[in-house]
Amino acid sequence: MNGGRLTRWDRWSMALRLALLQATWNYERQQGLGWAWALKPALDRFYPDAERRRARLTEHTAYFNTQPTLASLALGAVAGLEEQRAAGAPVDAAAVARVKSALGSSLAALGDRLFWLTLRPVAACVGLVFALNGRWFGALAMWACYNWIHLGLRVAGVEWGYREGPEVLGTPLRARLEELVRGLGALGAALIGLIVATVLVPGGEPRPMVFQVLLAAGLVLGMLTAQRARPSPTEWALGIGALCIVAGWIR
Amino acid sequence: MSVRMLATFLLGGVAALDATPVAQTLLSQPLVTATVLGALWGNLPLALEVGIVLQILAASTLPVGARTPEDYAVGGVVGAGVALALGSQQPFEVSRNASALLGVLAGVIGSVLGVPLLKWQRRRNEGLSRWCEEALGRGEEGALAAAQRAGVVLSFATGACLTAVLVGGALRGLQGLAAHESLRLARAWALAQPLWIGLGLAQLLHAFVQRRLTRAALFGIALLAGWLVLMVSSQ
Repeated sequence: MNGGRLTRWDRWSMALRLALLQATWNYERQQGLGWAWALKPALDRFYPDAERRRARLTEHTAYFNTQPTLASLALGAVAGLEEQRAAGAPVDAAAVARVKSALGSSLAALGDRLFWLTLRPVAACVGLVFALNGRWFGALAMWACYNWIHLGLRVAGVEWGYREGPEVLGTPLRARLEELVRGLGALGAALIGLIVATVLVPGGEPRPMVFQVLLAAGLVLGMLTAQRARPSPTEWALGIGALCIVAGWIR
Repeated sequence: MSVRMLATFLLGGVAALDATPVAQTLLSQPLVTATVLGALWGNLPLALEVGIVLQILAASTLPVGARTPEDYAVGGVVGAGVALALGSQQPFEVSRNASALLGVLAGVIGSVLGVPLLKWQRRRNEGLSRWCEEALGRGEEGALAAAQRAGVVLSFATGACLTAVLVGGALRGLQGLAAHESLRLARAWALAQPLWIGLGLAQLLHAFVQRRLTRAALFGIALLAGWLVLMVSSQ
């Protein structure tokens, strides 16, 4: 048995290693290997005996998948469980696997909505508002807007998960993240309005009528095609490009 | 091969890393990579024109669920790279627009062609994962770090090579077209640019609004207020 506790440096090291959670993402185990890699500093601390440590590491290479930023919460919580397990508490491999599975799926559901469906498009919109005015720092604004939440949660998440344990999402944190999703969604809608205005009147100079009509046509087409998953926006974009080349040739 | 071209290929590798295997900080997004390439090639306006269209399309493409989304990380670098390389050979406004059109198309095609390679990498990683588990069973703890390193190297190499092949191929095939048909291509750009921007923005708006009246109203108010402010400030 080992009574070692995680130090602040261990938790920081786990948060850093979480950057490689998807380095070996695959269809079979998905983030399994990356998860074991991120948890290794904790296992090194709890299990000085190499054989036991390797056994735990192998357990953790099993299937795991969640949203990569919020994985930090699950990582902290599971590190806390492993700490209890190493200290002799009645926590077995099946209990750890159950917590990983439960946290993984709920964090994925929340994280996909927060990061992929909301924060990333909102950050892109912030960047576009500046870039459409020819400003180079649009890219920087986009990067900063996304990463103060993304990197912040990646580092703080391990701490929160470790402190709160498997109930980390039962705390007011979930309510705060849901509120953030709602707020960002509303901000995103307003930013799209601002972008359309900027595209129509860049620098206060209205675009030609043909451009305005084509933009409106694109918006209508986009609204109609958004109702269906297929064809994807990329496939529509390719079709539009091909049609415009033909039109440019024969005009 | 010029240093700028080599740096473009390497940026393709970096973008491929940032997209999934390492950190996911949005360095791989087309607007960011286009801005970097614009500074590198000394033509920020052209890079931004291409980057904006590709960014809007990328933002409406979501990596959710089992679907492997189009690879706009490499696509963004290919698009801006092709446009800048073509634009550097022709100084005129018309040819700049022709380069932008060909760049966006190369970027979109690149993002589609990147998907099978992403799937191939993920299958390679399955082998890596099995090897790592066997090695851990044999007592080789260092196998975990080795597997992670291999995954990162594979992703970087794939991204850089795909960028090199696509940019090289596009330049070889499109240089003549951009030089001789720039007027027609510029006309096609004038038609395609607003349609692409409108299409992508509508997809984003649909995702944000989700049939909520308040958000639709916010969109309308922001559009009207932005338009009024821009019109009044220009007077």
